[in-house]
Formats: sequence, C-alpha cells, structure tokens
Amino acid sequence: MQPGDIVNAVRALDGVAFTSTGMRDAGQSDYKNRHRIYDLVTLAPYYERMNIFSAECHGGARWHVGIMNRKENPFEEICLLRERMPNVLLQTLIRETNLWGYRPYPKNVIEYVVANVDIDVWRCFSFLNDIRNMRAVADVVMKRGRLFQPAISFTQADWATNEYYLKLVDEIAGLCGGMDEIILCIKDMAGVGSPKRISSLVDAIKQAYPELVVQYHRHATDGLAVPALLAAAKAGAKIIDVEEDALTRFYGQAPMLTVQAYFEESGVKTALNREEAVRASQKIRDWIKHYEWAESPFKGFDHTVTAHKMPGGAFPSSFEQAEKGGFLHLMPAILRVMSLYNRIVKYFDVTPGSQITWVTCSGIVNKYAKAKGEAGVMHVIDLLARFVEEKGQEFGAMSLEEQDELLTLFRNAPGDFKNLILGHYGRLPMGWPAEWVYRSAFGDDWEEKLKERKELSPLDTLPEDNLEKIHGDLSEHLGRRPTDEEFILYLMHPKDALTFIEFRDTYGETPMVLPTNVWREGLKNQGDKVEFEFWGKPYCIELVSLGREHEGVIHVVMRVNNKTRVYTVETPRAKKVEIRMAKGQTQIGAPINGSVWRIGNPQRGALKAGDMVHKGEEIANLEAMKMENAIIAPFDALVREICVKLNESVQEGQLLFELKKL
Amino acid sequence: MERKIKKILIANRGVPAVRIIHTCRDRKIPTVAVYSTPDRLAHHVRVADSAIYIGEAPPAESYLNMQKMIGAALKSGADAIHPGWGFLAENSIFAQMVIDAGLVWIGPPPKVIKVMGDKMEAKKLAMRANVPTIPGISGVTDVEQIKKWIKDEDVSYPIIIKAAFGGGGKGMVKVESDDGLLIALEQARSEARKSFGDDKLLVEKYIERGRHIEVQIVADEHGNVFHLYERECTLQRRNQKIIEEAPSPSINHDIRNEMCFTAARLMREIGYTSAGTVEFIFDSASKRFYFLEVNTRLQVEHGITELITGLDIAGLMIDVADGKKFSFKQADIHPNRWALEVRINAEDPKNFSPSFGRITRMEVPQGPGVRISQGAYEGADIPAYYDSLVMLIMTAGSDRDDAVRVMDRVLSRNFRVEGIKTLAPLLLSIIRHESFRRGEFSTRFIEEHMSELVSMFKEKSMEDEVLKIAKFVAKVSALGPQEWM
Repeated sequence: MQPGDIVNAVRALDGVAFTSTGMRDAGQSDYKNRHRIYDLVTLAPYYERMNIFSAECHGGARWHVGIMNRKENPFEEICLLRERMPNVLLQTLIRETNLWGYRPYPKNVIEYVVANVDIDVWRCFSFLNDIRNMRAVADVVMKRGRLFQPAISFTQADWATNEYYLKLVDEIAGLCGGMDEIILCIKDMAGVGSPKRISSLVDAIKQAYPELVVQYHRHATDGLAVPALLAAAKAGAKIIDVEEDALTRFYGQAPMLTVQAYFEESGVKTALNREEAVRASQKIRDWIKHYEWAESPFKGFDHTVTAHKMPGGAFPSSFEQAEKGGFLHLMPAILRVMSLYNRIVKYFDVTPGSQITWVTCSGIVNKYAKAKGEAGVMHVIDLLARFVEEKGQEFGAMSLEEQDELLTLFRNAPGDFKNLILGHYGRLPMGWPAEWVYRSAFGDDWEEKLKERKELSPLDTLPEDNLEKIHGDLSEHLGRRPTDEEFILYLMHPKDALTFIEFRDTYGETPMVLPTNVWREGLKNQGDKVEFEFWGKPYCIELVSLGREHEGVIHVVMRVNNKTRVYTVETPRAKKVEIRMAKGQTQIGAPINGSVWRIGNPQRGALKAGDMVHKGEEIANLEAMKMENAIIAPFDALVREICVKLNESVQEGQLLFELKKL
Repeated sequence: MERKIKKILIANRGVPAVRIIHTCRDRKIPTVAVYSTPDRLAHHVRVADSAIYIGEAPPAESYLNMQKMIGAALKSGADAIHPGWGFLAENSIFAQMVIDAGLVWIGPPPKVIKVMGDKMEAKKLAMRANVPTIPGISGVTDVEQIKKWIKDEDVSYPIIIKAAFGGGGKGMVKVESDDGLLIALEQARSEARKSFGDDKLLVEKYIERGRHIEVQIVADEHGNVFHLYERECTLQRRNQKIIEEAPSPSINHDIRNEMCFTAARLMREIGYTSAGTVEFIFDSASKRFYFLEVNTRLQVEHGITELITGLDIAGLMIDVADGKKFSFKQADIHPNRWALEVRINAEDPKNFSPSFGRITRMEVPQGPGVRISQGAYEGADIPAYYDSLVMLIMTAGSDRDDAVRVMDRVLSRNFRVEGIKTLAPLLLSIIRHESFRRGEFSTRFIEEHMSELVSMFKEKSMEDEVLKIAKFVAKVSALGPQEWM
C-alpha cells in the first residue's frame, strides 16, 4: 500500500486503531531495551492476526542497546519479523538528524542509512521540535514510498501552548506537501499530558487540519495514561499507542486490553482483535520472567514527572547509571534539579536532550555532594529554586555572591550541553537561553563562543562524510570486506559496532539462537541442557561438569550433540602473558611462527644491543618445521634492543628487534 | 637368495611409520616402532606391536641417530628395518650399517643410494644413460663460481641452489638476481648441513612454470625393473608438494611411454632394486622433460600409484628384501582409474606458518572412493620438532573429474580437524579452481594465485557455527551474566 492509501484507510476507519509498542518502547521504558528478538518474535503470529495499525519494533535506543547489550543487529530483527508477520507494518522511531545515535549525522549519511533500512512507518521526532531537521529523513522516506510520520514532542509547560504546536503543524504541512500522505504523531514521551490538555491540543489541530490523521503516543508515568488516551481519541486522534498488558509496568504505554475495554464502554470503537491480543499477552508470560533483572529499581507511577519530565525511556537507564555510580540516594535531588533546569534551558526531554539533561543535572548534584555533602546538595537546590521560582529567573535580582555561583554552575557541563546551546543540534524551541548561561558555561570565552552559535539546521552546516573512506577504515579494522549492514552499524556507532562485529565473529548466531535464561546464566547444573534448532537441524548442548577455578581458568565439560568437549574459560583473573608485537618501520617482527635459532649471522657471530647492522644483512634466523627464514635488516641501523632470547619460540608478528635508523 | 623377514623395525614416525605398519599387519609380520620423548603417546607407537624409546626430541638425538636405531632393532629382536620416507631413508651410511649389523635393509642397495644421493653424480649418470638433464654446475662453494657459470653458459635468472644430498624441498633456494645470491647460498648451505649433514651444493637453471612428473619404479633382485606409471606432483608450495595425482593430466600417451621407459632404463642401468622414483621436470611449452633426480625411497605420494594399479608398493619392498621375484610382468600393469592425493599439513592455510598444538577433534573422512593415511589421532599433540604432515587423503574415481569430485566431498563435508590449523581450506580452493580443473598449472600455481585461493575459503560451516554457540554457553556457564549485558 502506498502512504496515501494507508492514510485514507485510517481516515475511513470507524473508531480507532492501535499501534503496539510491545516490541520496542515497552521494552525500552521498563526493561532497558533488553527484550531479545528471540522472545519478541514469539509474538509475531499473534500480531499477524491482531489487527493492529503497526508494530513499533525498531529504532529509538533499541538499535544501540541491541548491538551493545543484546548483540543483535537491527537488520536481523527486521528480517525475522518480516518473515513471521508479513502483513504487519513495521515501525521505527528515528531522531531526525541524530538518526539512532546521539549527535547530528551529515546529510549524506542520513540519506544513505535511511534508504537502506526496510521499515514501513517512519516516526521521526525532534527533541528541539526543529522541523527543519526532519527534511533529509522526510525526503528519503517519502521518495521510497514509505509512510512518514512526523512527531511533535509534547510537554506540559506554560510555554507549550496550542499556538506553539499549531505553528509546528504548519511547518510540517509545508515540509510534507500537505497532510494526505503522512500521519502526525503527538509524542508525550514523559507521560505528562493531562486528559484536558491533550483533548484541547488534538481538538485544536483537528480544527486546523480536519483531514489530518493524528496518532497519540503517551507514556504512563504520571498514572493518567488511560483517561488521557480516551480524551485524545474523543477529540479525534485515530491511532493510539498501547502495549500488551503482560508487559506493562510503569513507564511504558498503557495496557491494550484495558484501553480497549475502556474505549468500547465509552463508545469509541476499536479495531483490535481481542482474542489474539489476549493470546499475545499470555505468550509474554512465558518469557517475561527472564527479564526481572532489567527492570528499574525505582518502581511505581510517579506523578512528579510533570515537574522533572524524565521520559519513560530514560527511567530505567538513569536509575541504572545512578546505581552503578553509587549515587542512587541522590535521585530525588537530581529529579528536583532537573525540574528547575528545564525552565532555564528549554527543550524537550527526549533523546538526545534527555541524556544532556541527565548528565548535566546529575553532574551538578554530584559535584555539590562531593564537595559539601548533603548540605551542598540542599544548597544548590535552594539556589536554583530561589532563582527560578522566587526571582523569575531575573539574574540581576540575585545577590552578587549568588550570581558568582550561578556563573560557575555549567562550567563542568558536558560538551554536548555546550554544543546544544551553541546551536549544533538546531534551534531551541523557545529561543536561546539567557546570557548568564553562556557566561556560566564558557567563562571568559563566552562572547567568542556566542559568535560561533549556529542559527541554521545541522543539515545545512555539517560537512558531508567521505563514505568510501569510512568503508575503507572499517575494512581495515575487520581485515575483510564488511557487509552493507555492518557498514551501516559502523556509520551509526563506530566503536560499539566494532565490538559487536568482533563478538559475532567469535560467537556467531548465539544471540539469535539461545533461550534467554541460557543466554544470560548459561547451564547451571550437571545434566542441564539446551536444545535448539539451527539452520534447519536440531542441536543439543548438555552440561557435564563445571570445574573449579584454577590459575585463572575454569574447565567446562559439555556434550555438544552427544560429543564431549572440554572448554577452557579464562576468568577475569587469568594471567595474560603479554607478547609484544612489532609496529612501525623500526620494529622488526617475526615473519612466521617458529623458533629463533640464531641471532646474528655466521660472518659476524651473535648480535647484541648497541651493535650496528647494515641494510641487507641477516640479523636473525627463524626455523619452523626445518625451514629457515632469514630476518634481514631493512636499513643501516643501530640495534636498540633484542626482544627475544636465543631458541625462544615466537609468534608471527612478534617483536624481535627494535632498531634505530642510521 | 630367498629370506624370510620375521620382525620389522620402522625407523620413522607419523604417517610413514603407520603406513608401513599397515602392510606388515597384512602380512602378519610383527612391528617395532621407535619414539622420541614427545612422541611417547604418538599414533605410530599405538598401532605398532611394540615400541622402543630412542631419545630426546631433536631428530639428531632420536630419529636421525643411526646407532640408537640399530641398537633398538637389535634389542627388540627385529631382523629388518624399513626407513619409511624422510629421516634416514636416503642415508647410504645408515643402510650399510643396517646390513653390517646383520639386519635386512628394506630399500635399495646402499651404493645406489649413495650415488643417487649425490645430485652431481646422479646427473652425470643420467647424462651417460642418455637421459636429458637441466644445465647446471656442481660443487658450488662461492658466489663467484655461480656468477662465472651464469656468464660462461649464458644462463638467465632465476636459478636454484640445491643441497647435493637434499630432497623434500629442504636446502633448496630459488634466486632471482645477483643481489640475493649470497644470502641464498648461505641459507641453502646451512639448511643442507642441518637436514642432511652435508653442505655440498649444486646450482641449476630454474625452469619457470615447469611441471613435476615422476615415474614410480619397482625392481627385484632378479633383473626385473618395472615402472608403475607416473605421478603429477606439480602443485607445490616452498618446493614441497601438497597435491599429487596419477596419471598426469599434462602429458599424452607418447610422452608418457617415453618418460616411463626412460626412467626404467636409467634404473636398470644403475642397478636399482626395491622401490624408487625418477623425477622429471616437464617444460609444457617445449613438451620436453629433463631428469631431476632419483628418489631412492618409498615416497609420500606412492599411495595414488597403489590406487591406480592395485599394487602394494610397501609390500613389494618387503618381497624384494625377502629376495623374492616379482610375480607379475610389466605388461600386467594396467592402471584403470584416476587418483588424487592431498597432504593435510598442520599449517595456517593463509601463510603456511606452522600450527603446533593438540588436535582436539578429528573426524576422519569416509565414504566411497576414499583412502586415508593417518599420522595422528584425536587428542594427539603435534610437536614442533618434526614434519607438519598429519594425514594424507587420497581419492579415486574412474576419471579425473570423478576423483576430484570425491575429494571435494571429503574436504568440504567429510573431514574435520580442530585445535590446529591445516591446509584443508587451501586444498579445497585449489581443487575447485578453474585452472586446476582444466589441468593447467605449474609449480608456481600456488604462489601466483594465493590471494585468489584464500578469497575462496569457505566463510562458514554449520559445525563451526554451532561450536561458536557452545563456546558462548561454556563461557556464561563458567562466569555468569556478562558485564556488557
């Protein structure tokens, strides 16, 4: 179906349709994106019959967490889902110029990547609501005949008025050449819109654009999701984001069976096949127990989200970081600082903005906590509260001492915060922050920095990347030609993609094949086994015995398809014998594995450090399987160091000599 | 004189030792293996009837130590010694020592070994027997001598420096220009001394893109000198053969006959007995062949000749040593199939760097048309001191395509070694290469096509992929949830 046909079908619908976020945002909001495709794919047969508008199964942080923590690649996921639910529209979430990363990518990268990902519905949002930044994604998606779904980031604040949003909708109409081939999403990523507020906004948009299909995406954090969704539907939203009931916790979407029942009772028809939705929810109970460890340590709805505005997706990961960093007890203070900060620098707390907010605010609180303990934390909250809530952010109204303190507040803020206020991501929704913020961030350089501030979209300012060169770099790293998909992973997250590819080269299809309990915990007791099918044949791995740690290794005996195998696993305490490898021109390495049976040559005898050697002179000889291999001095040189001993066995590439050119 | 050998000591290890033991078993002759310290648990020791320790790992202290070898034979009550190939197989002093100790030497007469072992002498003899030879000089001691020869006889590079007593690719160095001459000479001299205990060298014109074709000869003490047709041994790396086949795809009927009869004539002339080989280099451009050398031993690749003729050459060697007369005539030899052999060496197939270590898993190929000659078993260690040959795989079929097809099956689906690297992926790439299939290749085929051959390595096998999964299960079972999860 062409985008226009899809839009018309939704317009003609009697009632509302659902998008299930069960395969992406549900997992992102309450389980740190750890739901493996191995488990999610079990839902596909139900989705195929559930009669949903689309399945959000891709994008957001799922991509990055996939390659880092689940070792899955988003292309494999699409492939599996297409095979198992060919009639369901697959939906992604993309961060305009930041794509599935955290910083703007150049236009040619955006175009290349978007053109090579097989997704039907492209929900695209901007944490700045800078519609200009969506242009490259919109162009490619619409040209490909896929459905573009621009999203406006929603928050509830005094400045976030209907007029403000309508202006954005106008800009979107301009960008997309009208509203007949797109669906507009209102993205309430923190779950803060009250039923009244959302009703008013949808109504205002529908009055301005009666033909526009509006979809409402809302998190449940404030506890008011279900009534807010009904309010949106009654005001004219045609598609509502929900998730399977068995997945719901606190920060994701509302439970679909609940929403359906409530809608139907209130006279709003729904397109959902309830029986299949019930089965999907039951299926989830088979595997959701394996993910308890991934849930946020901070449980329960949180109506104070309306102040601190931390988005659903960031909840578990922020708490995880706080726990790891040992400052979980500071969370209430950090949330309070966030609620003040977001009135000083105004943008939307959603990736990458939410990360900038988090790092900036947790950094400020931690700094005060380290310097002055709890009293310090109280002090900075007092300072900011007085400035924002009492003095109405009038800098001059603060005492000189307080002014000085504010002027150091952002000095240690992360580079991305500084880039943000310099316009590297685009325009801020309510204009640039006050002058003192720049003085605070940049100190004496603030005026210089201010001159660098960009008014244009990064699409117009970022120079293009040399894709061929990047491809070459990757080939060099891998020592082979990368696949097209590996190249895209590398374009998105170079460092993490390399680790991922290395993992998959070592462990192959493991992430796609192992059940989650075995994936995470392995086999525990003698006789435990895991059975799976792989490339069309059955396999079985059974644990025979697990040795005790001895000198840094553990021996694991397993029966792989009935054949006993012993695996030697190095523990983190394993002693590594470091072998120096030759690098550069002046370090001479071994050409093969072998033993150094002569250092020097018969004419001159043995060599020692400090000797001079001549170009072409044999300086050592390696023997392997009775074949000799002369090591020749590549230039006239002084022997700085002889790095091996006579008769030592050496590896190919191992450093033999350190020379100094003469 | 008819004798009856009662017990044979095999003065060797690995693949050759096991090969000889098989024939001894067929004939119900008890066998004695010898072993060095690292070979205590080696395969040849397991399959022999008894075994005797002969010394430390370095060959000079064990497999090359003649006194110890003779002592072991006497101690064990063996009345004959078979040297296999390599080590002492072409050592005339050893052969004589065996005879002097009152034991039977299963091989050609020591004086024939001696003459043929001296490549300069061998060449002279060949010339005298009207066998065509390659231009070259002998008794080379310094660079000036070589330069003078090049000038006088108007020889162009490349040339090859060889150990006069060499064989098996050791002590052979190819030289491309004046610049490399000194180092090459030194290397050849040193390798010659180390491998053969003699640093006499000779130099020859190197025939570019030549093919190695050799004729298998068997001769008894009663004047019967028969050829068992030829083998093609062109595919080499660093002058060591890795794929052989019989018959040769590069020659026609007439050349075959001429070559085989020339070989038999030469061997008759020099008074050869037992099994041996006459090696030729065949210049496919001019369709001419030149004498290269006589190998006075059983060769690695003898098995493919056995496959096409149905004869047991190791058995014939024992018959000859027993003083028996062949029970067949030249006219009875009718090769009626095609056979192919690949050498499974413990080496990295990408760069031939040796791969020592333990064979953690070995699945030996089976099925129609396959013959295996195994030198190590699953669980065995491949020590760094000796030859890297682990296994010979031979396949046979009614024609060349058939034999290659079986080899493809074996290498791609049937054969599996874990723990060490082997040449198997490279061998598979070669037999799948279009030029090989057409029979068009030279001794330089591998070096010329290396990167192409490496790019043909199969990326994934199902078994490897499953083992990757098992490896992960082992890791997580031992260490618990991973940090990055």
